[in-house]
Amino acid sequence: MGSDIGSLLKKKNSHIEDLHNKKVAFDAHNVLYQFLSIIRQRDGTPLKDSNGLITSHLSGIFYRFLYIMEEGIKPIFVFDGNPPELKRETLDRRKERRQKAQHKWDEAVEKGLEEEAFKYSQASVKLDDYIIESSKELLNCLGIPFVEAPGEGEAQAAHMVINGDVDFTASQDYDALLFGSPLVIRNLTITGKRKLPGKNTYVDVQPEIIDLELSLSELEITYYQLIDVALCVGTDYNQGLYNIGPKKAVTLIKKYSTIENLLKSMEYDDQNIGQVKKLFLHPLVTDKYKISWENPNKDKLINLLCKKHNFSEERVSKAYDKLIQKTNPIQRTLDQF
Amino acid sequence: MFKATIEASLLKDSIEILSVLVDEARFKISKEGLSVKAVDPANVAMVSFNLESEAFEEFEGDDTEIGMDLTKINDIMGVAEKNDNIVLELKEETQKMEIHIGGFSYTLSLIDPSTIRSEPRIPQLDLAGQVILNGSEMRKAIKAAEKISDHIMLGIEDEIFYMEAEGDTDKVRLEMTRDQLIDMKAGDARSMFSLDYLSDIVKPASKSNEVELNIGKDFPIKINFEVANGKGIVNYLLAPRIEAE
Repeated sequence: MGSDIGSLLKKKNSHIEDLHNKKVAFDAHNVLYQFLSIIRQRDGTPLKDSNGLITSHLSGIFYRFLYIMEEGIKPIFVFDGNPPELKRETLDRRKERRQKAQHKWDEAVEKGLEEEAFKYSQASVKLDDYIIESSKELLNCLGIPFVEAPGEGEAQAAHMVINGDVDFTASQDYDALLFGSPLVIRNLTITGKRKLPGKNTYVDVQPEIIDLELSLSELEITYYQLIDVALCVGTDYNQGLYNIGPKKAVTLIKKYSTIENLLKSMEYDDQNIGQVKKLFLHPLVTDKYKISWENPNKDKLINLLCKKHNFSEERVSKAYDKLIQKTNPIQRTLDQF
Repeated sequence: MFKATIEASLLKDSIEILSVLVDEARFKISKEGLSVKAVDPANVAMVSFNLESEAFEEFEGDDTEIGMDLTKINDIMGVAEKNDNIVLELKEETQKMEIHIGGFSYTLSLIDPSTIRSEPRIPQLDLAGQVILNGSEMRKAIKAAEKISDHIMLGIEDEIFYMEAEGDTDKVRLEMTRDQLIDMKAGDARSMFSLDYLSDIVKPASKSNEVELNIGKDFPIKINFEVANGKGIVNYLLAPRIEAE
């Protein structure tokens, strides 16, 4: 998902401790997809409560974000609003793929093929109203603020970083950079080790910071040209040019300076290019957001997670106590004096 | 240019003074010696370290700035004997540091100083209380506190300097009167600090006979001490923890 420009960008490994006191805007949908696809049993069945409601996302948010807050990070969730019309095709394609995966998952379970089942279950993840609403309910109990984006969540998050109200956008995708976020951080929502796709080996996962300015100077292109490169490779809003990968796209955009010139030289006319460009340069965002953190509420947490969704009260209560112990008294920083 | 000979134990101590807060540091070199200012990534503690040229066995240096990976230097120090003399020589053309330890010759790549976090702004603080005590006594108190809690309160009350740590269930308190201290300036002083940081900082300080603490009310603490018989000065600044309302 998003544009496949990751290989071009300059990534710097970081440590979670270095992010103390930083405000980080998380692309909520990106986070929820991750939790829903990873937190599953071996045959792909997600965690469920006694009423059959999925709780994988709640478990992910609760345990992972307690850890993030213990490290002194101040998280904000940004939820997607209405997708731009140009994304329709991508969304339809995803839906179709999801339905197919659902079908294959059922088959694999029937045949007892665990690995297959897990793989297809991951591809069938869907964010419905229940997932979104229950996530927001949990964020309220945790005192984590969330912002409703009018359009794309990543665009709104990038906007808040540009405004200086937030330090980083957090997402596994690279689209926030195309929306102009000066700093993007990856891997915050993944724990310790990550499985290499298709292999049985694990690597340590560290937060990775991508600095837009630094990446651009390394590539020797402008921000506008980075968008052109993404348009060549393909984005959520356009298909991209046939047979052009990220590296080749950079070379071509440097040679022709803009995608319009490049298309002209190929005698190829794409009416949509201008519109897609506009989506990145002038995305639908709002300045009407309020970001403030509250203390997590233990009673509300127990009520929601344990009484309603059958989490272990002992574990929830222990995790909460640990957070309080680690974050109180509050550590001040030297720039506050 | 920079070429210097330094005793292994002093180099080791110097690296430890910095590496408790940062992995990489910018070293400013001049005729007068060597200086470093660094702030930890979380912006909670900073160190300012000066080592005069007289602290070295031999020292030649012109104004320049270099970036070094402290972890690497620490690693190679493993082969040094305590009384070894270590020769450091900057190779400006290649941006490498040659280090001779015993029979070994290391060539270490330097780090571009501009990629290392820039020098911190040092806040101007007016801290009312001052205590001078023995470094190893200070360390003992910190160690005792660590058994009970992850933070410690330092303060002065009625001419008594106290260090107090309170955990969920247990508490430890150490009181020192003026007689038990090397010196004291009583003033309004009561601030709480993270033991994670404090125990790291106190480790290098514990080798010093006189450690000066400057304490205010919910303010950063200044911890000053000398190394190399007064030819090196170390100043730490650590931000407090503050109880939520």
